[in-house]
Amino acid sequence: MYDVIITNGTIVDGTGARGFKGDVAIKNGRIAAVGKVDGTAKRTIDAAGRIVAPGFIDPHTHFDVQILWDGAARPALEHGVTTIVPGNCSLSLAPLKASDRKAVVGMFQQIEEMPPEAFTQAFTWTWEDFAGYRKAIEPGLSLNVAPLVGHSLIRLWVMGEASQQRAATPDEIAQMQDLLRESLKAGGVGLSTSYIDVDENGRPVPSRFAQFDELDALCEVLGEFGRILQVVPEFYDADLTIARIDQLAELSLKHNIPTTFSPVFDSPATPKNSPRIVARVEEQFARGARVWPQMQTRPVDISFSFLRPSLYFARLPTWWRTLRQPLEQRNASLRDKEVVAKMLAEADTNMMTQGMGILVIRGGDNAPAGYVGRTLAEVAKERGETNSQALINVSLENDLDVAFLAENVGHADTSRIGPMLAKPSVHIGASDGGAHITSFSTYGDTGFLFSEFVRKSGDLTLEQAVKKITSDTAEIWGLADRGRLAPEMAADVVVFDAATIGRGAERAVFDMPGDGMRYVRSATGIDTVLVNGEVAYAAGDYTAAKAGVVCV
Amino acid sequence: MKPDADTTIESAAIGAGHDGAAELVVNLRYPNGTVGPVVLDADIGFALLRTCGADSLNELKGHSWRAILESLHDV
Repeated sequence: MYDVIITNGTIVDGTGARGFKGDVAIKNGRIAAVGKVDGTAKRTIDAAGRIVAPGFIDPHTHFDVQILWDGAARPALEHGVTTIVPGNCSLSLAPLKASDRKAVVGMFQQIEEMPPEAFTQAFTWTWEDFAGYRKAIEPGLSLNVAPLVGHSLIRLWVMGEASQQRAATPDEIAQMQDLLRESLKAGGVGLSTSYIDVDENGRPVPSRFAQFDELDALCEVLGEFGRILQVVPEFYDADLTIARIDQLAELSLKHNIPTTFSPVFDSPATPKNSPRIVARVEEQFARGARVWPQMQTRPVDISFSFLRPSLYFARLPTWWRTLRQPLEQRNASLRDKEVVAKMLAEADTNMMTQGMGILVIRGGDNAPAGYVGRTLAEVAKERGETNSQALINVSLENDLDVAFLAENVGHADTSRIGPMLAKPSVHIGASDGGAHITSFSTYGDTGFLFSEFVRKSGDLTLEQAVKKITSDTAEIWGLADRGRLAPEMAADVVVFDAATIGRGAERAVFDMPGDGMRYVRSATGIDTVLVNGEVAYAAGDYTAAKAGVVCV
Repeated sequence: MKPDADTTIESAAIGAGHDGAAELVVNLRYPNGTVGPVVLDADIGFALLRTCGADSLNELKGHSWRAILESLHDV
């Protein structure tokens, strides 16, 4: 008898092969049979009219902290994500000496924007080494975790404060190699490093002080295990990114390792950049190197409030000069009729007043509930004001702590992005799940892949899209028994409606420790998610299943 | 004349950054005719506007690339 049979669905097995009608049988957490399945099961799931696919894999997340109290990495699991890769961008939570916790918490808060309570109330620090971290997370996992080892952590462990001051000595590099070796043996999927991240004081994170010989030595260890190197290059500059691609290619060839970098996104302000980056990657692939660019599916938004001046106002000199004043003067100016009159006239002259109408009011700490989620145009009309008047007045009435969102400002041209996502050389990822939580939602990129690039633009077939975020990802990351529906593979399965899979609207929730706020998106079209053979999400609810593992 | 004296700002536009912040994308025209972008964050972007005495992005055009260097020290 099987544990589970999923019947009558259309099986899209993750290989890119055309979907076919059939059943999937599961026993002991593994796929037991695919196709026409005879026999009985303890549980039968009717997937008629639905797609049955391997669970999705998200290769770029920062759920390191959240999975200590939320083993489902909500809402990642409900989007069909059954495996996440935390520890990106040089930052993991192990190996970490107790004496260095404060420093690393600062770095995480800078990236993740989590409230302090997330680090002081939500869990107990029980570990220092990587094996200890694994032991801390594994019992509570509802999804699988393939954790990266952060280069900054390795450096901090070996060098202490000097990790953010100088290059390492040969002896220190040797110690880092040993520590990485130990961490990989304990379940690390690879090493992450960063050339751009900063700590809470604006100082470069420790990995940025490494010289090339240090990274080369660490990649030598990755080569011993065939593990991956993840890098955040200077992505704001295409030339520097291309130089990093070339560097990664040399490391890949020398140590026979896969490498990946993120993010790559397409901006109308720099339209040549992403095609140049993809072209360079393809040149390096032709040499035999493995340098995978991670491209996100979702568009990039701009968010701002009057508490921190934004370049959104760069075309309006009176606005940005006013908003760059110290807070007290800024408030006074925004209440000065003459100044405001000049601001309003300037916005009108520059055709900005009308454009401001599409701004969406978001959940800043003081944002009035009745306004959150609505456009400025709607609110302005209700208030009997122009858009620019409403922007000023709503901010003033709420101590300037109201956030506004200009949606789809970058990486939003489907006609350019779709063909790039479809390329075999482009790795779909860079969701940043669990990071930037008070700025925008980093969840639902998989759903958006289907709604935007399968159903709307047709750049990928359903089968190609599934392959991209299942078997392709598993192969790139060396997750040997994941990403395909085939006998003996781990039974990570998602059942979804091809016609409706997508992402819901962005909304603010207060579910972080200490009632901290974050933006999330719910899933649409996901019926059931199984992790290692157990139903972890069904009919809109998370189950109590804790079948997730650290999988490498 | 210094070899790079005539590297100038060709244009500037607002872009969306990875972290949801607006960025200033400045295109530089190099002496050999090549045009390439430099991306500046909000603080440096505003400093550049101030350094150049510019009221709008269009007014950045024609300024030396050295204004960007000055802006880096002005934040």
